[in-house]
Amino acid sequence: MRARTRYFVPLAMAAALTAACGESGSSGTGGAADGSAAGGDAQASGEACAPVAGDQLVVLEDDQQLQNADNIIPAVNAAAAEANPALLETLNSISAVLTTDDLIEMNAAVDVQRQAVDEVAAAYVTEQGLDSGVSGGSGSIVVGAADFTESQVLATVYADVLTAAGFDASVQTVGNRELYLPALQRGEIQAFPEYLATVTEFIEGDDATEVASGDVEATVEALTPLAEGYGLVFGEPAEAADQNAFAVTQEFADQVGVTTLSELADACGDGSLVLGGPGECPTRPACQPGLEETYGLDFASFEEYDAGGPLTKAAIQQGEVSIGLVFSSDGALAQQ
Amino acid sequence: MRTVLSAASAEVLAVDAAPNPWFDPSYVTSNWDTIVGYLGEHVRLTVAAVVLGALIALPLALLARRSGWLAGPVLGLSTLIYTIPSLAMFAFVAPITGITATTVLIGLVLYSLVILVRNFLAGLQAVPADVREAARGMGYGPVRLFWQVELPLALPAFMAGIRVATVSTVALVTVGVIVGHGGLGQLITGGFAANFYRAQIVTGAVGCVLLALLADLLLAGAERLLTPWARGTRA
Repeated sequence: MRARTRYFVPLAMAAALTAACGESGSSGTGGAADGSAAGGDAQASGEACAPVAGDQLVVLEDDQQLQNADNIIPAVNAAAAEANPALLETLNSISAVLTTDDLIEMNAAVDVQRQAVDEVAAAYVTEQGLDSGVSGGSGSIVVGAADFTESQVLATVYADVLTAAGFDASVQTVGNRELYLPALQRGEIQAFPEYLATVTEFIEGDDATEVASGDVEATVEALTPLAEGYGLVFGEPAEAADQNAFAVTQEFADQVGVTTLSELADACGDGSLVLGGPGECPTRPACQPGLEETYGLDFASFEEYDAGGPLTKAAIQQGEVSIGLVFSSDGALAQQ
Repeated sequence: MRTVLSAASAEVLAVDAAPNPWFDPSYVTSNWDTIVGYLGEHVRLTVAAVVLGALIALPLALLARRSGWLAGPVLGLSTLIYTIPSLAMFAFVAPITGITATTVLIGLVLYSLVILVRNFLAGLQAVPADVREAARGMGYGPVRLFWQVELPLALPAFMAGIRVATVSTVALVTVGVIVGHGGLGQLITGGFAANFYRAQIVTGAVGCVLLALLADLLLAGAERLLTPWARGTRA
């Protein structure tokens, strides 16, 4: 794999350069060279779905729900939720309007445009009118946040809206789930913007059994009794989700004419797709095997980069891979 | 391959990205309230840890001096605690005291002991035996002997210990980010998490250094005030 990467990269770079010079994005050279290296499916390999360079990344819809539903869902300490129903109602009002595009925009504002988390959150609350029509709050509420941008922004949005509802809300950053979920259980913090499928699997605890799925409602149904036993109450899931997603360049999507992974499978049966992602992708059911089995996609090759990080995103943009693994709320997906 | 990619990716991002300089005064001005909040927590934790540490270290040092056989275990134990990695320490204490500032404080106090007990003991042992003998002969009881004879003579060593413990505590507070009470450390890890925001990281790091320097200067000044008799000899 390593050796192949070394040969392939200069070729792909050359292909990207050619594309930049105005020719169509056909990296026939790259695809063919790679096809032969992969073991002789060069004949089958066309060039319809070879990588196309471009700055704008777009996510292809996971229309057959291969990925677990990691929608944003408010997690609340059971005692705090019981003490004042306004707490959960207020947080549900946020879930009702929060979309993945909102997350992308807010992440981009902080991570790319370097705005302060407080300002980005406050601007969102005002823009969506979340601070009006909420009431009934009293007492102090500590909203927990994990130590990454999205969680910080969401926790700040929660705190801002809770404050508008009459609570005395503040945000506390806590490193990881192993630490903050027990703290939420004990009531040291009262609310947390959680991720549906991930928190369901965490509370369920058994690595061998999978209760979360790509179906939001089914996952919430599985989560509710688990949460009750754990001393937590969950609100309504938002449309917004931060989960594994597969992105292509806008140029590629336009050229091939696809918006969903199923359409991609239909359009790219010729085996010219190049997939990029983290090293474990070829073995993880939610990554390459899932794409092949669930969607019937056929890849000419797999290129190893990082898990939704700068390397994978750059590889898609520079036309080294046709499609790559990203996170669905990544700020880099913002429309430029 | 990595260098090629990262250089190229920086170019791609530059299309829309705000600049990311190491030093950015506008970051400090626009986030002043946040920075001051974390700075306040940093100062509170440092002061509380050193004061509590000194209050615990003094009896331990007195005990260690009184009975020679206790000196070994007391010093050994405080040194042993110091060898526990700070991340592990907070992880051990967190399940008991939760994600509160108390968790960080317990760790900081335990770490300050190794420096304070050793320096306090060294200071007490440096009091000449004949001076104590003479004081006792003049009718000084143990309490008066300590306050009026031993403490002034041991003060330079005490202050040296407190200064080192303070500077080391300022640095250690940052590890408290693991439970969300890391003072200026929150800025450092926050900057890493926010797509490597250099201005934020540098503000946290430089803030720690300045705070340590300032604390050391203040303690040096306090030492000068408390030991007026030492000034002549120093000059």
